[in-house]
Amino acid sequence: MSESGNGLLVGHPVPNFELATFDPVKGDFGAISLDGLKSQNKWTILFFYPADFTFV
Amino acid sequence: MGAELVTVSCDTQFVHLAWQRQEKELVNVKYPMGADPTGKVSRMFGVYEEGAGLALRGTFIINPEGTLLNSEVSFFNMGRNIDELMRKFKANLYLAKKQAEACPSKWKDEGDQTLTPGPELVGRVHEALQK
Repeated sequence: MSESGNGLLVGHPVPNFELATFDPVKGDFGAISLDGLKSQNKWTILFFYPADFTFV
Repeated sequence: MGAELVTVSCDTQFVHLAWQRQEKELVNVKYPMGADPTGKVSRMFGVYEEGAGLALRGTFIINPEGTLLNSEVSFFNMGRNIDELMRKFKANLYLAKKQAEACPSKWKDEGDQTLTPGPELVGRVHEALQK
């Protein structure tokens, strides 16, 4: 799979990724990574959308 | 429920903050809002639209082992049904416990009819769903 990516395949491992976040509960910035969520034994649901200030 | 929902757009975390504080529809938001201004993660999931510089409406469910189990992508102008996302997530949780079973299309929650693939089911899905 190339760096630019043609998408990931269902049934296959997802490589680690990291995202800077805004956490509304804490009212603070933070970061999450897939490795971090895996180490907490959590499922991850990613919900991509085009842009803030639009409908979801 | 042992899951982290993370929303992601190509905005920065600063814009996420401004939007969440401004938009009254978002006052009850409890999930982290991920920032992907370079499009790196969006490209990895195949949802980055190069022409617009924006992410398409993609939803992905990853189990605690890091395996991708669901992938759904819609164009910019079509919203998603959260009930359907929750149905898929619940089905994944159920199937993680009951690995011999399968959730048919009308499965909604634990206790609903499932199928157990095997020789007895071949050609008899209709009968199995009537039970």
